[in-house]
This record gives sequence, C-alpha cells and structure tokens, in this order.
Amino acid sequence: MSPSTSNSGSGMIHCRNVHKTYRAGKTDKIVLDGVDFSINPRDRIGLLGRNGAGKSTLIRLIGGVEMPTSGKIIRRMSCSWPLGFTGGFQGSLTGYDNARFISRIYDKPYAEMRAFVEEFTELGSQLQMPVKRYSSGMRARLAFALSLAIEFECYLIDEVIMVGDKNFQDKCKDEFFEKRTDRALLLASHSLSTVRRYCNRAIVLKNGNATVYEDVNEAISVYEAL
Amino acid sequence: MVRELITRFGRENIGFLWIMAEPLLFAGLVGIVWTFLRAPDDSGISVIAFVASGYIPLTFLRQSIGRSAKIFQTNGSLLYHRQVKVLDFIFVRVTIEAIGATMAYIFAGIVLGFLGFFPFPADISALVGGWAIYIFFVLSVATLLAPFSEMSEAIEKLIPITVYIAIPFSGVFNFAAWLPPNIREAMMWSPLVSGMELMRYGLFGDLVTPYYDLPKALGISIVCLLVGLVLCRRVRRTLALA
Repeated sequence: MSPSTSNSGSGMIHCRNVHKTYRAGKTDKIVLDGVDFSINPRDRIGLLGRNGAGKSTLIRLIGGVEMPTSGKIIRRMSCSWPLGFTGGFQGSLTGYDNARFISRIYDKPYAEMRAFVEEFTELGSQLQMPVKRYSSGMRARLAFALSLAIEFECYLIDEVIMVGDKNFQDKCKDEFFEKRTDRALLLASHSLSTVRRYCNRAIVLKNGNATVYEDVNEAISVYEAL
Repeated sequence: MVRELITRFGRENIGFLWIMAEPLLFAGLVGIVWTFLRAPDDSGISVIAFVASGYIPLTFLRQSIGRSAKIFQTNGSLLYHRQVKVLDFIFVRVTIEAIGATMAYIFAGIVLGFLGFFPFPADISALVGGWAIYIFFVLSVATLLAPFSEMSEAIEKLIPITVYIAIPFSGVFNFAAWLPPNIREAMMWSPLVSGMELMRYGLFGDLVTPYYDLPKALGISIVCLLVGLVLCRRVRRTLALA
C-alpha cells in the first residue's frame, strides 16, 4: 500500500516531494505542492498554517490514511493514526469495543489497554456507550488513551488537544511532555502558546509549500504575519 | 488481520442472525402461494424447496452487492489504521453474508426437511461446489463494484437496480433445462446460473438436469476479480476521507 510501513526500529519519517491534489468538481485543487521534511526521533514539531492550508491533509498523508498524489512518505518509526476529531473509531461500537479492536490490530493485550483507557479517560460507564454519542472532548480522551496505550514512536496530533477541558489538557501535557520525552510529535495547532512552549521545530504551511524553521519563534512570527 | 476484522464485524452484527429468518419467511410464503396457484408439480420437486434454494443465494447476492456500494467511505474511519486494507472490507462483508446465507440455507433445509418439504441433498459435493462458485462470483463482482461506486455516483445509485436486473440471469426462479437451447447457451455466460444449477443438482439429484459451464463461470469470475483488484488499488490512491 504505502512505500514503507515498517513499524519497528527507531528512525525517522521522511516526506519527499509530497504532492496532494483533490478533485473539486472539474478543477483540481492543489493542497500540497512539493512538501519536503523529516521528523527525527524526539522531535516536537509544531505545524502552523491558516485554515485550509493543508495541515490536516499533511497529517493524514503521514499517517497513511490517504495517499499522496505523487512523492513519497517513508516511515522508519512507528507512527500513530492521526488523532483528531474524526476517524479511527467505529461509531456504532462502544468505547470498550473500540479499545478491543485497537488492541487486537496493534497486538496489545486487551486487559492492559482496558485498564489504561479507564484510568486515562475517566469516562467510567460512558465507555459502554456507542462512540457516536460521545462529545468531541470525550472522543479526544478516548483517542489519546488508545494511542498512548499502544506506545507509538511518533504521534500525529491534529488540533484535538484544544477541545479537552483543563484536566484533559494537563493529562496530555503530562503524558507527552513529561513522561514520553523520547517520542516524536507532529502537532497541528493554532495555539501558539502550546507550540512555543513545547516544540523544538515548527513548520509553516502556505500555498502548498512547507517551510521548516529550527527556531520556533521565527515560525510563529511568520505565521502571525500570514 | 482479516480474521480479527471478521470477529469484530461479527460483534457488530449480533442482530444479524435475523438475516437467517428473512429468506425462510419469504420462501415459506412464496412457496405456499405457489403451491395453491399452480397445479402440483409432477417433477417430484417441492415448490417450497425450489424457492428456498433459489431465494437464499439471491439474498446473499443482493446484500453483498448492495453493501459494496460506497463500502470504502462507510468504513473509512477504519482506514486510519494502516493495517486495515480496503480489500478487507469487501472480503469481510462478503464472508459475513456468505456465512449468514449458509446458515440460513442449512437452517431452512432442516426446518423444511422436518416438515417434509425439503429433500436431503443428493450430492453434497455438488451443492457445496455450486455454492462456492456462486460465492466466488459474488465476491468478484463486489470487488469490481466497490471501487466503481467510489468513482461514479451514477454507478453507486444504479447498483441496487442491477441486482434486480440480475434476477433473470441468476437462475433463481427457473431451471436452465426449461429454456430453449439458444437462450440456455447464452445463460451459461452467467456464473450465477452455473452455480445455481450445480447447487440444485446437488440438492435434488437426478430429478433435475443441470446445465453448467465451469470454465466460463470461473473465467468470468477471475476476470472480474482481477479488474476489481486493479481498480481498488487505483481508487485507494485518490480516496479522500472526511
């Protein structure tokens, strides 16, 4: 399916000249027009860009949900599915059923998964409800719990931390920025304070092109000028 | 991985055991009506058994093909996990329907057989073989139509209609032996007819004269499957998920 779906060994993720075009009626809309960058182990990359700049698209491509129109994405570390408002769940199933499914396909003992999910989400009996009835905050809790339980080497996060309440945001920060400092992170966000505080690099997406900044503050000032 | 998906979809479909009851009910009602409307058949074949043996595979066909429309989109959220491939959706869907139909067939056979309307299969290997051909063809067509339904909205809407058009070409409600030789010859291009004839022979034995063409049936199925696989691959590349 994808050029490399290697799930083992520490390494990097490379995007090589990635293009993505969507068909919109009769015209083609170019969303990404030759994106090149790499994610190193332990990288904390903030992904900035205006609405519709292609942040979510880029994250979906890296996560392997969609395929690039041309170019390559090479994954040399295990990489989460895109954690966002949608996707990754079967809405008609309960939270527990989704946890069981995830634990099966990622080969993780269900008992451990279940304990972790219960503790992290604090959703209690609501885990027995179909996921489609969850609020976006509850969904975000479940998605984070499941992906944290798998222990990926790289997490792809699409905005979603922001929808959570204070308690959830603190938990996420604790898990990602205190406990799991050895993981890589690609964080699409409009929260500049989060990016400034936690990221060591940043990417600004504009007109289908990605510019990588080693200095996060520089990226933020470019983004603010957009 | 496919096995995991089956169990998973299986959980989702616990109420799906009802599928077994539906063809049974239909076959029973149609069979009763026909028994009254028509003079008793002197061929020694019960109308109820005939209808049941045709309608259950037809239900399977309708469900499998009907659900193949937009199957990638409806299951799109599962594609967030890279282990899950688009083909899994089709295979799992058809497998579940096939298991359901097989259970319905066996169940109907036992119930109707107990009431004396359903014979014990004369040749189980022919019955199973015919069923396998039927399933294989349905799987191929589902693999072909699933990517088509993503490519064109018109095809997506037409899929339910094609299923009804397929009825005369499926051998469900007639024996090929009843047809004039030239039409019968044409019918041999339909793998459904070959599968159904073989199943009916397996069920009724020498009471019927089966007409089937295995090389044609398998050949057509394989061609559909290959084209379908290529299309699935192409569609996956451009698939946009909300």
